[in-house]
Amino acid sequence: MRDAIKSRVKKILSVNMLKDIDLQELGDDTPLLDYGVGIDSVSRLEFLVALEEEFGVRLDEGEITPDFFETVDSISDYISRRVP
Amino acid sequence: MNTLSGLFLSAAGKFSSRTAVVEDGISVTYGDLARGALGFASYLSSRGVRKGDRVAIFLPNSIEFIEAVFGGSLSGAVSVPINSSFKTDEVGFYLEHSGARLIVTGDESINTALKASSGRGIEAVSIKGDKAAWKSPGNQHDEAAEAGVGPEDEAIYLYSTGSTGKPKRVARTHYNLSALADNHTETVGWTEEDRVLFVVPISHTYGFGNFISAVKSGAAVVVSGEFNRNGVLDLLEKERITAFPAVPVMLDVLSKTYMDGPRDLSSLKLVISAGAPLKEETFVKFHEKFSVYPRQLYGSTETGVISINLCGGDEIERRFNSVGRPVKNVSVKVFGEDGREAGTGEPGELAVRSPSMAAGYYGLPEETARVFRDGYYFTGDLGMIDEAGYIYINGRKKFLINVGGFKVDPGEVENLLSQHPDIAEAAVLGVTDGRGNERVKAVIVARRPMEVKDVLGFCRERIAEYKVPALVEFRRELPRSPTGKILREQLK
Repeated sequence: MRDAIKSRVKKILSVNMLKDIDLQELGDDTPLLDYGVGIDSVSRLEFLVALEEEFGVRLDEGEITPDFFETVDSISDYISRRVP
Repeated sequence: MNTLSGLFLSAAGKFSSRTAVVEDGISVTYGDLARGALGFASYLSSRGVRKGDRVAIFLPNSIEFIEAVFGGSLSGAVSVPINSSFKTDEVGFYLEHSGARLIVTGDESINTALKASSGRGIEAVSIKGDKAAWKSPGNQHDEAAEAGVGPEDEAIYLYSTGSTGKPKRVARTHYNLSALADNHTETVGWTEEDRVLFVVPISHTYGFGNFISAVKSGAAVVVSGEFNRNGVLDLLEKERITAFPAVPVMLDVLSKTYMDGPRDLSSLKLVISAGAPLKEETFVKFHEKFSVYPRQLYGSTETGVISINLCGGDEIERRFNSVGRPVKNVSVKVFGEDGREAGTGEPGELAVRSPSMAAGYYGLPEETARVFRDGYYFTGDLGMIDEAGYIYINGRKKFLINVGGFKVDPGEVENLLSQHPDIAEAAVLGVTDGRGNERVKAVIVARRPMEVKDVLGFCRERIAEYKVPALVEFRRELPRSPTGKILREQLK
């Protein structure tokens, strides 16, 4: 299941990212900072909303710490703990 | 009643037992607020603040912010609101440029205020928190602390983001502010039964204009210092909010936010969208989810509110992308590049005449003459007016980046980046993300190997988060035209 979550997270990242990215090249532990992910509050909110829509879980920005946005792994780990 | 202090005292007298402000579940009445503001005026007097002195207010939306604004107006001081997310250097600029004598803030930001004011002969005090030097309502009110202010006295300094590298100071007089409140109130029609949620900062022109109109009407002002989606939904529901000024990105994420169950927002009658264009997707989804149509509002730091879209329910779906018709006492015209007034439906630059508009920019006579002329303020926004008088905006002349309703001057960020010892050159521009929102991008020519986090860390320490580049790209050189101008289109 975790691989399925990662795959869905990567797809959302590719829509929300600022520049084109080859999903094949996006490693699970690639620092997402380099792609402009999670840097400003607007992009963080929009990304969280996209993840909520995809996974049907609440992701409150008040409970999420900055390290959530670090890599595909960090995002997927958090979601996998929330998805029933 | 054509002063801010007069407006406030009139509301406090008429609505003294009604709720004025709610913060974190704590309510104060208009009577309480008046006592607090009068107490603050006395406190200012005790600190040597006199009529015409500038008092910087470096606080989030809060009871204390509101007491400071009205207390300042009662004492004749000029308030200088500063965005509570600003960093030391930014605060320092505002203190220096405004000639502030005193900066009031909260415990959380006192260190920033102290650093920013250090060496400038400006006192920094906390008025919010356990370590506050003054707490409402303060010592017994000293009537001598109230100064007689007139309509033409300056009441507030607001700063307009320019494209010149530094914000431009705009002074609004007491008359300007009372006219703004009149224009807004006569058009929108809030009453003492309204409850208005302020998540948008009251330190900014959009929030401030709606705020003084709410006070004039005797409405309850519910404040929040930060935007948290579920926190806002809780407030909208539990505080029975009737009006919610917002920016498009807030409405967008609220319309898509996961909810465990339905929310009762039946009290919500007016949702205002301003600061950036409202996308059709957001307009539709927000209405589908909450049964309220967002209404666009248009304004500027230089003029206050210009227009609002209050067309009937049968028209709003086809006119959603209009910013509405001018509010009472405001006139809007469109001028072509040749200087002639454009006809109905013809595109051009929007120009505004309003009793709430400023006279010009402090210390910038050329820029003032360029945009304030013939009794109009030339906005730099491009658009047209249709046959029914509805205004549509479809572009801008100014080179600014619009991040979620906050304007970013690329020049300001470029100037900052050029101060980094490892950066040889930088160009900053706006780019659009996959959802159609503008972001700040920095393209950097580095002297030595750098990483993105080095650039971000440097920026985060010195400028507010919304100005920090969301995307950083390193290049060996910046593309230039034969005349040396940076070709920004090639940097997107």
